[in-house]
Amino acid sequence: MSALSNVKGPKSTRAGSKTLAKLAIRLGAFVAFAGILVYFAMTARGFTSPYNLMTVVEQSAILGLLAFGMTIVFAGTGTDVQRGGIDLSLAANAGLCAAVYAVMMREGYGNGLAIPAALITGMVVGLLNGIAVVSLRIIPLLGTLAVMNIAAGLELTLTENTVVSVSTPLMQVIAFGKFMGISTLAWCLIVVSMLLVWVMHFHRIGMRVYAVGGHHEAARAAGIDTGRYIYGAYIFAGFLAGVTSILIVSRLSSSTPGTGLMLLPILAAALLGTVFSRRFIPTIGGTLLAALFIGFLANGFQLLGISSYWVAGVQGALILLVVAVTSFAKNN
Amino acid sequence: MTAAIEMRGITKTFGPVKALTDATLVVQPGTIHGLIGANGAGKSTIIKILAGIYARTSGTVTVMGKEMGVITPATIEAEGVHFIHQDRLLVPTATVAEAIFLRNEPRFGPFISYRQMNRQASELLRQYFDMELDPRTLISDLSTAQQKIVQITRALANKAKVLVLDEPTAALVKKEVDNLFVVLRRLKAEGRAIVFISHYMAEIEEICDVVTVLRNGSDVGVVTPADVGIAKIVEMMTNRDASEMYPRREPVIGKPALSVRNLTVAGAFQDVSFDLYEGEILGITGLLGSGDKDLLKALFGQVTPDSGEIMLNGKTVHFRTPVQAVRNGVAKIPEDRRAHGVATGLSVGENISLASLDQMSSRGFVQRDAEARNVDALIAELGIKTPGRHTLVKNLSGGNQQKVVVAKWLSCNSQVYLLDEPTVAVDVGAKVEIYNLMNRLALEGKALIFLSSDLEEITEMCDRTLVIYRGEIIAEYQRGEIDANRLLAVASGAALNQKETA
Repeated sequence: MSALSNVKGPKSTRAGSKTLAKLAIRLGAFVAFAGILVYFAMTARGFTSPYNLMTVVEQSAILGLLAFGMTIVFAGTGTDVQRGGIDLSLAANAGLCAAVYAVMMREGYGNGLAIPAALITGMVVGLLNGIAVVSLRIIPLLGTLAVMNIAAGLELTLTENTVVSVSTPLMQVIAFGKFMGISTLAWCLIVVSMLLVWVMHFHRIGMRVYAVGGHHEAARAAGIDTGRYIYGAYIFAGFLAGVTSILIVSRLSSSTPGTGLMLLPILAAALLGTVFSRRFIPTIGGTLLAALFIGFLANGFQLLGISSYWVAGVQGALILLVVAVTSFAKNN
Repeated sequence: MTAAIEMRGITKTFGPVKALTDATLVVQPGTIHGLIGANGAGKSTIIKILAGIYARTSGTVTVMGKEMGVITPATIEAEGVHFIHQDRLLVPTATVAEAIFLRNEPRFGPFISYRQMNRQASELLRQYFDMELDPRTLISDLSTAQQKIVQITRALANKAKVLVLDEPTAALVKKEVDNLFVVLRRLKAEGRAIVFISHYMAEIEEICDVVTVLRNGSDVGVVTPADVGIAKIVEMMTNRDASEMYPRREPVIGKPALSVRNLTVAGAFQDVSFDLYEGEILGITGLLGSGDKDLLKALFGQVTPDSGEIMLNGKTVHFRTPVQAVRNGVAKIPEDRRAHGVATGLSVGENISLASLDQMSSRGFVQRDAEARNVDALIAELGIKTPGRHTLVKNLSGGNQQKVVVAKWLSCNSQVYLLDEPTVAVDVGAKVEIYNLMNRLALEGKALIFLSSDLEEITEMCDRTLVIYRGEIIAEYQRGEIDANRLLAVASGAALNQKETA
C-alpha cells in the first residue's frame, strides 16, 4: 500500500502560477535578448560582419571573466542577490593587479615575476574581502566597499595616476594572436568558461558553493564548513581579477586609470545572468550570455551612432529591471 | 545491548542561566523515543548539544558505545546521527536530488553524476515513501510535507542509524502525519533509533515506545506511555505549585468590544468566530503552529484575512496595516520585543511615547513637559528599573525591556490590547508586574486578548479561554472550568484521541 501517495503534490495552484511566471520571465529575457540583436542586425551597418562579431567577443572577454568572479561570489554568499554578499572591489582589484603587473614590467622584472605578483595581489585583495565578510562579519556591501577603496588607493599610489605603458611579446600574442582563426582573448573566455562550468555546475565544489549561498544554515547543518567556501569564493574572484588584469594590460598596452569603472557592467552582467537560469541564480552560462549581451549592446549603440554615455544608463536600468523582476517572481 | 545514544549528566549554562542541569537521555536502537517537556524545559537545548550546535558545559555523550569529545555537525553526522530540524533546513534553490546528496554526491570521475544522483534519489523516495517525485524538482516548489520527506530521505541516504525529529508534524495535516508515522515505524523495524520531539501529546502516545520527560532542565522520568497514560505524563511535565504569582481581580464585563465572525486566513486558521468584551481578559492558547499567532496578526492588520469579518464596537473594520489598527484603538504587544516591540537604540522615554506622540503634540510640536510627566508616571507605576527616562533601552534587562513595551501601549490609550506571549523570557518579578498591569487595564474597561503557551498563566489570569487546534477553535472554557493539565491535554489533541477511543 502506498504510504505517502496522498501527500499533496507540488504545491497546487499558487505554485503553478509561480512556475508560469518564472517561465514567462525566462522566455521574455531570451526574446528580448534575441529581439535586440535582430534589431541591431537590421539597422546597424556591419553589425553582423564576422570581424565585428569577433570584436564584440574580444571586448566581452574582459567583462566576462570579471563577471564570472562576481558570479562565484554571488553563488557562495547568497544566490538571492538582494540579501546575499557582493564583491564591490572586483573592478578596482583588477585595476590594482594591472598596475602591479605594468609597474613590475616597467621596472624590468619580467613576466616570470610580474604575472605571479599580479595573481597574488588579486588573491590577497580577495582574502581581505573574506576577512572583512567572514571573520569580521561586516556586511558585504560595506566590507567590500572598504576593500575597493584600499585597492583603488593602492593603484593610484603605484601608478601615480598615470598611464604606465608596457609592451612585451606575450602581450602581443594576447592582444593580436590568433589560433584556429579565433583570437587569444576569445580563447581565454572560452577556456575559462568551460573550466568554470565544470567546477561550478558539474563538480561537488560548485554544488557546495551554491548550497552555502542558497541557505547558509542548511549548508552548515549538512556539515559544510561555510566560512571556508565564502573565503574561497572571494579569493577565487580575486584570482580572476588578477588573470583579467593581464588581459587588460595586453589589450591597452598599458595600465590605465579607470579600470574601477567596470564595476557597473560587471554587476549588470552577473545580475542579468540570473534571468537565464531555471532557479534564478547566478550561473556561469547565464553570466556569459549576459556579458555578451552587454557587449553587443555597447557595440550596437556605437554602430548606430548613439553616444556611448547612454550605455552606462542602460546598464543601470537593466540592473534595476532584473532585480525587480526576479524578486517579484520569487515572492509572488 | 549498546544504547544508540547515551547522554549523561548534561549541564549547559548560558551566562547566569542554567538551561540544563544533570540531564540524562538514553535511546535504544529499534525504538521511537519521545522527548517532551514544557516550553523552556530544555528539549531544544539538549538536542542542540547532541547536534553540535551548542557545546555542553559538562556531561558525557556516547553514540553506539563510542564516547564523543567535542561535537560538531560533521562529527555527529559521521556517527550516523541525523537531525530533521523543525525549520526545514534545505537549500531552496537546490533540486530534490541535490538536497538529498549534498556532501555525498555520486561521482563519475571528476564530474558529479547527475544521472546516478537522480536515479538514486528516485529509488530512495520510492523505497521508503512509495512516492513518485521528480528528483529535479526545486525544493522551493515543494510543499512543507514534501520538504520534510526530502530531509528524512537525506538522512536515510547517509545511512542514518539515529534520526532526531524536532517537531516533525508541526506544519503537517492529519493525513500527512499518519503517513509519516507509517514510515517511522518501518525505520524502527529496521533497527534504527528515532528521537521524536513533539508538543502533540496524542502523537506521543500513538508513536512513542518510551518517553523522557524534561522539566526545568532535568529529566524527571523515563516512562512508557502505553503503561502510565498521557494524563500522568502531562502531570510530570507541569508539576508546579500555583503560587501567589497571580493577582486576583473581580471582573466587570461590559459590552462587546471586538467581534470576529468566520475569520479565515488560508493555511493558518479557518472559520474563527468569537466575541471579546470590555473589561475581559480572553485567553487564547494552542500549540506551536496551531494558528494562534496568525489570528493575532490578522486582528492587528499584519495579515489580510481571506474571508470573514472583524467588528470593533459593532462596526466592521478592515485593517490593512498595523497603523490603521493602532488608529482605531487596537494595540499589540509582540512576542519578539527586540524585533518588533522596542527601538533598542532609543531611550526609555522615547520608546514609551513613540506610539502616543499624537496625543502629546500640539500643532506638530511634541510637548516635552507633558511627555516627561507621562513617561515618569509610567516608569514608576510599572517599576521599570532604569536610571532614568534618558537611558537607552538596549541597556536594560529583558524583563524591563518588556515593561517598556507594555508602557508604550499603555500610554496610547487603546481600547483593545493584543498580548502575544508578554511574559516569555522575563523573570518572575517582572511577570507579576505585567499581570498587575493586565488586571488594571481590564478594570479600566479595556478588552484584552492574552495569548500564551504557559497554560497555568492562562488558567489563572483569564476570564475565558479559547483553545486553537490546527487552525480551529475546538473548545471554550470559563474561568475555573479547567486546570492547566487538562488544558494541555486539550490543546495538544490528547483529549481528541480519548474522545475518539471512548
